[in-house]
Amino acid sequence: MKSVAQGNKPLSIILFLGGIALIVAALVLDCMGSSYEYRGAMLVCGIIGFFLGLYLIPTKKHHRKIVYFIFLFPLLFTFLVTVIFPLVLGIGYSFTDWTGIKFSKFVGFENYISMFKDPAFIWSVLLTFIFVVLNMILVNLIAFLLALLCTSTVRGIGFFRTAYFLPNLIGGIVLGYIWQFVFSNVLISITKTSWLSQTNMALFAIVIVYIWQYAGYIMLIYITGLTQIPGDVLEASSIDGANAIQTLFRIKLPMIASTITICTFLTLTSAFKQFDVNMALTGGTGFVQNFMGSIVTTGTQMLALNIYNTAIRQNNYALGQAKAVLFFIILACVSLIQVRVSNKKEVEM
Amino acid sequence: MNKKVITLVLAGAMAAGLSTTAMADLRLVNGKIEVDAALKSLAAAYEEETGVHVEIESMGGGINIQDTLKGYYQADNMPDIFVNGGDADFANWEGLLADMSGEAWVQDTAAAYVDANGAVIGFPYTTEAIGLAYNADILEKAGIDPAELTGPEALKAAFETLDAQKEELGLTAVIGYCAEATNLYWSTGAHLFGAYLDSGLDRDDTTYSDLLADGGQIDVDRFTHYAEMVDLFNQYSDPALLVSGTYDQQVLGFAGGKYAFVTQGSWIGATMTSDDADAYAEAGNFTVGMAPYAFEDGIDTILTNSPSWWSVFQNDNTEEALAFLQWCAEDGGQKFLVEDAGFISPFASCAYVANDPFAQTISDYTAAGKTSSWHWLLNKSGLDQNVLGSIYNAFAQGAMDVQGFVDTVQQSLAQYYAE
Repeated sequence: MKSVAQGNKPLSIILFLGGIALIVAALVLDCMGSSYEYRGAMLVCGIIGFFLGLYLIPTKKHHRKIVYFIFLFPLLFTFLVTVIFPLVLGIGYSFTDWTGIKFSKFVGFENYISMFKDPAFIWSVLLTFIFVVLNMILVNLIAFLLALLCTSTVRGIGFFRTAYFLPNLIGGIVLGYIWQFVFSNVLISITKTSWLSQTNMALFAIVIVYIWQYAGYIMLIYITGLTQIPGDVLEASSIDGANAIQTLFRIKLPMIASTITICTFLTLTSAFKQFDVNMALTGGTGFVQNFMGSIVTTGTQMLALNIYNTAIRQNNYALGQAKAVLFFIILACVSLIQVRVSNKKEVEM
Repeated sequence: MNKKVITLVLAGAMAAGLSTTAMADLRLVNGKIEVDAALKSLAAAYEEETGVHVEIESMGGGINIQDTLKGYYQADNMPDIFVNGGDADFANWEGLLADMSGEAWVQDTAAAYVDANGAVIGFPYTTEAIGLAYNADILEKAGIDPAELTGPEALKAAFETLDAQKEELGLTAVIGYCAEATNLYWSTGAHLFGAYLDSGLDRDDTTYSDLLADGGQIDVDRFTHYAEMVDLFNQYSDPALLVSGTYDQQVLGFAGGKYAFVTQGSWIGATMTSDDADAYAEAGNFTVGMAPYAFEDGIDTILTNSPSWWSVFQNDNTEEALAFLQWCAEDGGQKFLVEDAGFISPFASCAYVANDPFAQTISDYTAAGKTSSWHWLLNKSGLDQNVLGSIYNAFAQGAMDVQGFVDTVQQSLAQYYAE
């Protein structure tokens, strides 16, 4: 390292400064709308020069830090470009009249105010909450029962585990269309009119499909939890004469409490973000005669789909963005609570 | 150290090599995926003739083209020519499209898209018609003259006659009307609603679309008459199709001779002669026609329009793009667009006739001057999907009567336009 540090001072400075100059030049050219075709190459050479120069800087004291920085940089840069920039830009756009192409003025909180005055939006928020609660309970219940089944001594357990997990491997859109066919062409002989065209039943249809998709995944997590219960505890309890029900409620459930927490939050956040099944199955359509004194014609439209529809279908990107910010805040709160709760559990254990 | 310098030089050379990859000369984003192959042969012919390569990028099957284009715009990856579907779409690109007023083809058509300042910014490439499509053979057997279907009584009488003879005629139902809201909202919420806005009016008459644009109002008298017609459709439609049917079922049923009427436009001609060709042949490749949506006495027009237009994005390639469109409007391009893609040409000088069952009826109406425009293209974005589709569906399910339908539509339109 010493030889590296001593011999290359001029080179490192040339590379470092030259790199910065090239990067700046390329960016300036690009911003000015130049079509000079080597500006991409300039940028890449500049970046390489910058890092090489940085690496060759003759310092013993900071060399290690520089190397750390160089190794971390790709990840940090990607995180910045794909997460932080869009977040900041998005929040910024929500205060403008952005059309997806350009914006002409800042409108302050207008988007946020009009969002809460829109009954269809309030409806979709309420619907999402109902959906989340229903799902959190039903998915966990069903997944847990399936997990109990798949950890028992039934024959062909491998087959059952695979079969229950399989729907999770199918994408939500495909699944939505398959079930649309089931509801509209097969079950219609029993239900007379398709559930999907009856607003109330359509929500249950979405819940059913969602459970079908997601229960298998949660089941796998429960299976892991259940198989990790020490055998000696179960054995001791059976010697003491505990029956199956007592074993379940007094031993198995308390032993997998942390798994239950994880699964609850997993279902909670994923149900909040429900989009694809909703879109493929009903597209958000549905008719509600009177909600807050007005007619709602998007009776099965949940929050994520509402945001998409506002931006894409109604061509109102700024309002959609404002709704997305609210959506982000809700999800961030849920996630923070989740982290808190999980941390507490870990300390106790 | 030398090695490092060499690596650096090589890396630079590689990056330089990457950035000089050859680009297509012109790029066209097409919104009708079903004519992708035809457009590619068109592009090949153009390249042979002029040496300019045209890359055809087809989109469809449920993706929102405007949204994808906005993404392209943000990524500085705009195509030179792309499709726009109406006022809302054109408004997105205000100031970014080339003015084509000076082009020769503008004199040859009445269907170009002209913006508020009088600039031609949309190239029409096909004509589509919205009307009450009928199976002429069945109407003939039942003794109904389609030319007389110009009022609500005549329509009702025809429906009753057909209903009484369903068995002899092999019909499942009189009309294939489908008010499903998830995938067919455009059929009811845009096209059938468009019949209210334009039926019977002159091409430049915007009375009802102006009323709608002014806070979402409707003409209650006219709309009530219109609602009675929709109610008639509800009564005489196939119950298996009415609430939750699909486009495929609807068109297949009509192509197979199961319905005497269908509430779809001329584009089903392409489906009938391709996907549903077997059923259509089995039903005897019957003649089709279009009757006006005659919900008031004296309505005798069908609605024809260019369903969407090609626009030229202003950039360095604008000259080449304009030349390509001019070529498309001329004999060489029209041959492909009409014969291969099956488009009904909006250009007066076009000598080709599309092999489409509806081509005849459209040209008859056009020649007689009995066509109205498509002012539903001016509707507020998402009106069909977010509002009207669900209401037509609820009406079809019997959740409301005619009066209830009128009131609900009136109230919801006012709400939607107030937002």
